[in-house]
Order: sequence, then structure tokens, then C-alpha cells
Amino acid sequence: MSGEVVLEVDFVSRSFGALTALSKVDFTVRGGQVFSVIGPNGAGKSTLFNVISGLHAPTSGRVRFRGGDLTGLTPEAISRLGIAKTFQITNVFPKISAFENVRVAAQSRARVSGRLSSLWRSPDVEREVMELLSAFGLESRRDELAENLSHGEQRYLEICLALATDPTLLLLDEPTAGMTPGETKAATTLIRRIAGDRGLTLLLIEHDMSVVMGISDRIAVLHFGEKIAEGAPDEIRNDPAVIEAYLGGAED
Amino acid sequence: MSSAPRTLPWGAPAAFAALALLPLAPFMSKYYLLLAFDALVFGAIAMSLDLLMGYTGLVSFGHAAFYGLGAYAAAVLLERGVLSLWACLGFALVVVGVYAFVVAYFATTRRGIYFALLTLIFAEVVYTFFRYTQTFGGSDGIQGLPEAMLLPGVPIDTPIKKYYLVLAYLIFGYVVCRLVVASHFGRVLVAIRENEDRARFLGYNVPRYKMGACMISALLTGLGGALYAIRASYATPDLMLWTESGEFIISVMIGGLGTLAGPIVGGVFFTLLRDKVSSYVDWYFIVIGLVLVAIVLFMPRGLVGLRSAFRLRT
Amino acid sequence: MDYLVATLLPQLLHGLVFGAALGLLALGLTVIFGLLGVMNFAHGELYMLGAYAGIALISVTHSFWIALVLAPLAVGVVGAITEVATLRPIYRREPLYGLILTFGLALVFREGARQIWGGDMRRIATPVRGSTPLLGMTYPNYRLFLLAISTVLLLAIWLFFTKTRAGVVVRAAVQDAQMLDALGVNVPRVFTLTFAGSAALAALAGLLLAPIFTVYPQMGVEMILLAFIVVILGGMGSMGGSVVAAFAIGIAQSLLTLWLNPQRVAIAIFAIMIFVLIVRPRGFFGREGVLE
Repeated sequence: MSGEVVLEVDFVSRSFGALTALSKVDFTVRGGQVFSVIGPNGAGKSTLFNVISGLHAPTSGRVRFRGGDLTGLTPEAISRLGIAKTFQITNVFPKISAFENVRVAAQSRARVSGRLSSLWRSPDVEREVMELLSAFGLESRRDELAENLSHGEQRYLEICLALATDPTLLLLDEPTAGMTPGETKAATTLIRRIAGDRGLTLLLIEHDMSVVMGISDRIAVLHFGEKIAEGAPDEIRNDPAVIEAYLGGAED
Repeated sequence: MSSAPRTLPWGAPAAFAALALLPLAPFMSKYYLLLAFDALVFGAIAMSLDLLMGYTGLVSFGHAAFYGLGAYAAAVLLERGVLSLWACLGFALVVVGVYAFVVAYFATTRRGIYFALLTLIFAEVVYTFFRYTQTFGGSDGIQGLPEAMLLPGVPIDTPIKKYYLVLAYLIFGYVVCRLVVASHFGRVLVAIRENEDRARFLGYNVPRYKMGACMISALLTGLGGALYAIRASYATPDLMLWTESGEFIISVMIGGLGTLAGPIVGGVFFTLLRDKVSSYVDWYFIVIGLVLVAIVLFMPRGLVGLRSAFRLRT
Repeated sequence: MDYLVATLLPQLLHGLVFGAALGLLALGLTVIFGLLGVMNFAHGELYMLGAYAGIALISVTHSFWIALVLAPLAVGVVGAITEVATLRPIYRREPLYGLILTFGLALVFREGARQIWGGDMRRIATPVRGSTPLLGMTYPNYRLFLLAISTVLLLAIWLFFTKTRAGVVVRAAVQDAQMLDALGVNVPRVFTLTFAGSAALAALAGLLLAPIFTVYPQMGVEMILLAFIVVILGGMGSMGGSVVAAFAIGIAQSLLTLWLNPQRVAIAIFAIMIFVLIVRPRGFFGREGVLE
């Protein structure tokens, strides 16, 4: 699995009326990689994720996942193919417990799901759920309502939800948003380790350069919807176009 | 609104046992037995509506249409001499099922707000059709129905028999709802209520789940309607008025969203209240409106939820 | 040709006027939903209250025109009070509560009106009498007036939403309510003003149409149902879509009454809605994106 092409973004463009959010973005992600997408605000990073996860269809170009074309598929279909996404603004199920949050995510892959018998049966996913919660240090908070968790805990819960669907590709939209520097460091290490353990491919949007440089295998830089650079962290760090984009007027 | 079913381990069987013994009480005249019938039907329908409102987060402003169609279905059969209770119930399930499928098909593909609007519009059209065309008796409806038969030669003619029939229906509905709520399907409904978009991104075919919830709720309600026609020996368009839908909603809210047992209590409470109050017809609807507003503002968890109002934050 | 002119054309014009009124209601619904997140079930009652407020004011001032100015203001105030007292506390709650609350409000307004003014049908005398020969038919002057004022109103509203800062902000916020916070706007005040403004517009429509239709407590119910159909067809986030759909439905309604009795007209409009939903599930101008 490692090394083979998992995701191909082929010259994807996306416009909203007169506004062009993405313009001919093109890159490839390989199995087991941690691939980061960075860029100043408004560069189109979230739009890119929205296109890949099925919220929007590309205006032109296509996205291929393990060889199959994703264009036109619904978000739930794409999720079932093995792509999981976390949200930039925490998007959990507020009034049920952390355990119940992850359980409903894990049960989506159970055999009984979607069948008539799901009307009266309930698959046992206790073990998988507790494993995930423990991996992020949330096992003691399992019965707490999601809305009562701290911000950092909720961000972790986000990731648990995504991981519970047993994905091949994990899209992380600013996973450390709103975290303190200490939390960010811990989160970064944790994410990298879990991804490694499960053989996941990670596609990451991040603002925090230290995170990006620390864990990425490859980085693509977007600016005003276009890809202006791609390469290993060291290449990107020294790329004049990238430095220009971040310093030349557009804030980070 | 908790996702865990609020089970009082001794509560439900005890309550049903008490209800079973109710007809033996000395004050239970024919009038009160029939009132109890109405209260239990209302309670059962409110409970089935709770499956939609409290657990899935979908407000149906057209539930009266399921109710009324169930009544008319039974009435149409009885009128033609098909007296078997089971045929009436079965036919009601079919008729309401088809209608609910069509409504749900259109109402569940987009976000939750469209569900509320479309259930209302569909119900209004159904009401208009039954009230203003002569196909099913116009404003008079279908009157003078014969007694239904439990088995050939066993008519359901006395108030006591009707009461036990509706009690059986309530228990049946309760068991079904409890099973659904505790199942995988039920948990997905709660997830949809909490965050519809997220549920989709987890891979769930949300419209299909919404349709399922709508169908189950509608079918249970339709059975209640059929039973009402059997009890009252008529079916009229008034059963389908949007105000009736409003009364179902108020019952759920009084009892407490997302508790199943609460709405039963709410439905019973509301029926008894209406019996006392509706002689003052003028003010009745204003009171209903004010109660709805007041409940939302001050008592969103209803009667049953009051106890836990301090544990769960709004 | 005679038929076309004598019957069809007037009906078409009626439809435009009716469509404009529907458009005002639907626009109010769309803006309130987009901005406040509440589907205002009581909007039809605000329309109805406009007519009754007009009746009350006319009996005091003996002038339709004064009432035309004051009644929307009065209903606007009612709207503002309602928003502050009942809606503001529930913005952060699940949307289901807003639906139930406005449903309850609708009941209170409707039955309250019945209590105050009785359930009988009332009439308001047409303020502009006579008719004018027009394109081979004679058309009532009041209806001409209505055509004129609808055009002016819609134009004014269009200008407001495209040329004024307040209007542009509101329009953008209807698409994305979170941006209001980012702009540093006094959000509660904007909400109250928006609700009051929508209420006033609905009331204006109610009073303007009152001389043509009879005034009775239930008059808002029919309008709100049609307005719901309009927003379903126009797409919830699209203000332009609401207006277009309103005219379409208004004209359809008007033309259909030539051939069908009122109940069948309602069923026919419903059938049109179903047809459109089958062909274009997202309505005429549904927003982009799968989750609309």
C-alpha cells in the first residue's frame, strides 16, 4: 500500500459564480505519506478539501482516489470509499456523550448498518471505540457530553470520529486550530504516530508552520487558488515564491 | 434531549398494568372510558411523533394527515361491510404507508426545514381534498360505521373492549419505539438530529434514515387513526386539520422531547385538559398558542424533562 | 383575440399584483430564515394584521392613505417586540424550537384577531375608484395603482439590497450568517430591525390587497402556504429566486382561477410544486453544494 498513488488531484478548478476559488490545482499523494497543503488565508485550501470530500463538484478537472473518479459522488459515498474528513470548526454531535459520538461513527461500517435489521439490533463496537478514545487520552471523558469537552478535547474527538470509519485517506482541516502551543505539539506527535500505526495517508491543511515542517513528507503551497510550489519541507522553506506569498501583503 | 432511553425499570410495565386495571375503577362510566380511549390514542400518537421530533429532530406539521387517512381507510372498509379489525388496520397501514412514502420522499432529500414545510403543505392539500370534494363525503365525512369485528362473530362493541384494544395498541407502539430507539438505526437518528451534515460525512445515507423514521412514525399514527374511526364510528375531515397537528406537537412538548414516555403522558394530559377547556372554544386556540410559546421559552424539556433540566444544559 | 384581451390579460395583471404580494412575503421569510435561522410561521399573520390594523386606523382617521403609512409601522413595532421578547432567547437553540414557537405565535395572532375583530368577513372600500380603458379592456384604477406601487416597492427593495451598505450586508449575511460577527455589526439590533422590516412589508402587502380580497382572520393562512411553496421552489438561500418563484406562482394562481374552483386551484398549484421538485429537486435557484 505504501508508495502507491492514493489520491490524484488533476487540474482541479472550482468557481463560485465570478469567484475562482481553485485554479488548476494538480498534485499526487502517495500511500503512507503526510502531505500538507498550506497557503495564506483565502488561498482555497478549505475549498480544496470540500471538493475532495464531495461537498462541491469541481468546475473542471477531476479527483481520483485509488484510481476511481470521485466526481459527482455524494459525501456519504466518498466516505464509504475510505476518505474521512475532520472539520476546521469543530463539528461533533453536541448533546450526546463522547463515547456515543465515536460509537455512531464506528457503527457506520458495521455489517448491519443500512439493513432492515438495524431497526432492532445494535452492533457491539465497544472495543474499537474505547481503543480510539484511549489513543487520544479521552477514555476518562467517555460519558461527558461532547459540548462539555474542552476545545482541545473536542478537536481530538473530531479526529476520533474520522478514524472510527476506518479510512484509507484522512483529510485533516487545521486539526490544531485554537490549540495552545503545548497542545499543538502533543497533537502533532499523536497524529503522526497514529497515522503511522494504522498505515494511513494524511492530507493536512495547516496554518502553523512548525506543525507543517515537523511532520510533512511533502508540501503543496496554494495562493489565490493556484498551486505555486510543491516539494519536500526543505525545498518549500527556501522557495522564493512561497516566501513572497506569505510576506508580500497576504497575512498568515 | 438525552440519547439514552430514560428507562424507569419498574415504570413502564407498572404503568401499563395500572392502565389495564383502570376500567375496574368505580368512576369509569362509558363517557370516561371513551375519554380514556382518546387520551391513550393521543398519547400513542404523540409518542410516535416524538420519534421524529425528539430523536430525529424533524418537526412534522402534517401528522394529522397520517391520522386522518388511517381513519378514512378503516371507515372505507367498514362502510363496505368489511368488518374485520385486522383488515381495517392492515388497509390503514397500506394507505398511510403509501402517502407517508410520497411525503417523505420529497421532504427528506433536503435539510430539516423543508421537512416541516412540506409535511404542512401535503397535509393541507389532503385536508382540502377530503373536505371540499365529495369523493369521501365532503365535510360530513363517512358516518354511521358498523362495529368492527375482532374475529368473525366477535364484535368490538362495548367501551371496555375498545379501551383494551387501544391499550394493546399503545403497548405495541411503545415496544416498537423502544426497540427502534435502542437500536443502531435509532442511534443514527440521534446523530442526524445533533448534526445532520456530520452524519453524512460519516457515510450515512441521511435521507434514507429520515424516511425510515417518518414511515415508522406515520404508520403508528395511522393505526391510531384507524382505531379512532372504529371507536367513533365515523371519519371526518376535521381529523386532518392542521390544528390537530398542532395538538400532537403540543402533547410532545408538554411531555418532553426525546423521552418516549413523556409524550404519552403529555398526550393524556392534553386530552383531559382539552376535554375540560374546549367548551370555552373561543379562547381555546389562543391558549394553545400561548402554551406552545411558553413551553419553548420556559419549559423546553416538558414535564418529564423538568427533573433533569438541571443536569443537561440547554 | 377578444378572449385574450378581455379575460386573460386582466387575469395576468391580477397575477402580477398577487405575485408581488407573495414576493414580499416570501422575501421576508427568506431573509428572516437566512439571517435569524428561524422559519417564521407567523408571517402570514403579520400580513393579516396589516389589513386589520388598516381597518382600525381607517375607522379612526377615515383615510386609507394615512392607514397605509401607519399600519405597517404599527405591525413593524409588533414585530420588533415579538422578536425581542420571544425569538431572541432561542437563537442558540436547536432550530426545531423556533418552528414550534412561531407556530404558536401564529395561533395567538390569528385567534387574537378573531377575538378582537370577530370572525366575520370585512371589507375595505377601494380607495381609488373607477376604471380605465387599457389595451382594449377596462381595468380597475385601484388595480392599476397596485401595479404601480408594486413596481415601485420592488424597485426600492432591489435598490436597498444592491446599493445600500445595510442592504448588501444583510443580503450577504442571508447566505452566510456568521459573517455578521466578523464585520463587527450590532447583531441583535440588525436582527430586530430585519424582523420588524419584514413584518412591516408583510403588513403593507396585507393592507394593499385588502380592498380586493375580503379581510378575515384566516386570510394569512392561505398566503403563508403559498409563500412556503414559493420559498421551496425558489431555494431557501436565494432572494432572487423567491421573487421569481413568487411571480410564477402568483400568475399561475390567477390564471388557474379562470378554469378551476378555489380548492382545485390549490391542488393544482400543489401539483405544480411536486412537478418542479421532481424535475429540479433543488428548486429553481437552489444553492450550490450537495447539502442544500
